[in-house]
Amino acid sequence: MAPDATIRRENAALQMRLEEAEETLRAIRGGDVDALVIEGTSGPQVYTLQGHDAEANRFRGEMLAQVSDAVLAIDGDQSIVYLNAAAERLYGFTLAQALGRRMSDIFETRWEMPADEQAAIGGLESDGEWRGEAVHVLHDGRMLHVDIGVTRLRKANGAPNGVLAVIRDVTERKQHELAVLVSEIRYRRLFETAHDGILILDPATRKIVDANPFMTQMLGYSRAELVGRELFEIGLLQDEAASQEMVRRLNLTRQVRYDNLPLESQSGRHQDVEVVANLYDENGHPVIQCNIRDITERRRNEDHVKLLMAEVNHRAKNLLAVVQAVADQTAKYGDPATFGARLSDRIAGIAAGQDLLVRNLWQGVEVTDLVRVQLAHFHELIGTRVHIDGPAARLSAAAAQGIGMAIHELATNAAKYGALSNRDGQVHIAWSLSTSTPPQFAMSWRETGGPPVVLPIRKGFGQIVVGRMVEAAIEGKVITEFATSGFHWSLTAPAAATLASAEPGT
Amino acid sequence: MTEPRVHTAPAADHYVLRLYITGSTPRSIRALSNIRRICNEHLAGHYDLEVIDIAEHPTLAEGEQIIAAPTLIKHLPLPLRRFIGDMSQTERILLGLDLVDSTRHP
Repeated sequence: MAPDATIRRENAALQMRLEEAEETLRAIRGGDVDALVIEGTSGPQVYTLQGHDAEANRFRGEMLAQVSDAVLAIDGDQSIVYLNAAAERLYGFTLAQALGRRMSDIFETRWEMPADEQAAIGGLESDGEWRGEAVHVLHDGRMLHVDIGVTRLRKANGAPNGVLAVIRDVTERKQHELAVLVSEIRYRRLFETAHDGILILDPATRKIVDANPFMTQMLGYSRAELVGRELFEIGLLQDEAASQEMVRRLNLTRQVRYDNLPLESQSGRHQDVEVVANLYDENGHPVIQCNIRDITERRRNEDHVKLLMAEVNHRAKNLLAVVQAVADQTAKYGDPATFGARLSDRIAGIAAGQDLLVRNLWQGVEVTDLVRVQLAHFHELIGTRVHIDGPAARLSAAAAQGIGMAIHELATNAAKYGALSNRDGQVHIAWSLSTSTPPQFAMSWRETGGPPVVLPIRKGFGQIVVGRMVEAAIEGKVITEFATSGFHWSLTAPAAATLASAEPGT
Repeated sequence: MTEPRVHTAPAADHYVLRLYITGSTPRSIRALSNIRRICNEHLAGHYDLEVIDIAEHPTLAEGEQIIAAPTLIKHLPLPLRRFIGDMSQTERILLGLDLVDSTRHP
């Protein structure tokens, strides 16, 4: 570089530094600076040039610095001119980083309701202040729920000069409120949709303060009609004394249970209900919650089970009595050597009838089914040598037992001595219902083609089974004929004593 | 009077500026607010502005020959320039930052 050029350049630089020095002096003299920096032995020292109100400003500044709420001020150009230490912490910006920036550089404001933004602008314009809630979204994506109070700042002459915002982070409170709201919705839904009646009572007055929809259905009263009443007034407890007693017991044990209370709805419908009352604390106030469950159906089922148990017990005893009688009689009349086989055979006959009854839920047995079961050993002969003929008729359990045993005995005898003991004999089993009054049930067993019939020498138990026992079971009359052409058995009995009624368990 | 022809800096010129202030005094805030506005309007996208609070960190003033605050120093592009005050004299700042065509300036 030419010496001239170097000199010119250095000259220009010196000129510039001179100008800067002059400018600095001018600025200090003109009061355009806040502080002077003097190089000391221990490094630079900053000397603040204080005005007469600097102390007051410093005091205010220190106060704001210690406020736990974030304080933020913007000037008329929307530039941030102040933020306190709480604001620095809340938004993660230092004062130096934030000053002069716009609020939108620090966070994005989202309004919970679109109308809130208009309310804020309108409030500031009309009243010079606004208070409300918003969400501030930070640069890292965090969302702060904030409670904001904004005040318009004015110059000494009253002209607008920006705004001051005091911001409180209420995120935690909001989350808690949200959790409470979710919980409220969840439990309100339980309350509204429960299929138990629920009443909330004030223990001091014992009056209903709330009732769920199911309770209004159970009682036929509207919610408005229930609220303000006591339990005895809606028929749930007998009288006022019972109501007082319940509260007294609740205060002692915190839970009272009534397993079975009668309850009548407004329309007079009777229900059996179970009531569980709990005393608990609701935000410092005791409340009673009564859960009322309609147990009418459950009680009915329980009664039915009890009835069935009694019936089963009764039938078991009957059956044992029959078996015992059969065993006694078999022992008394037959050859002791064949006792076991004969008894076993007869019990099998009883069991077959019993199975049939159980299959039909003790609601009677069709005659044709009974006959076929008792002739199970000869089922191959049915239709060829054994002929069954009769209308549909349902025998009662007692009739099925008596007639079943008789058919079993008749078949055993036919196989041993009668029409089923040779190759050609036939058995005709028939039954009918007369239209006479009262109607009669008639049944017959007729054997043909068997070996010549021989009158039995003595009356065995088999004859008792086909005679007296069946007669006793159905108030019937039995006739047996030992005709040469074939054995014939006939039975007549009132249909009312023989046939199953419509009711179960006969 | 001819209006100074203000232009934005050429893309190649990246500005590195450092503003020394003393806390949030009104003048410091004005200086910061003014310089941010000037930067946004004329240097958008190619400047770095560092704000140094010498009330908090006096040692950061060391070596920069800071005599008073607020002071703005233009480190780049060269030559280094310094400005004192609340930066409210926009035209002078623009001139000093070489953002005004000085030949057309009256």
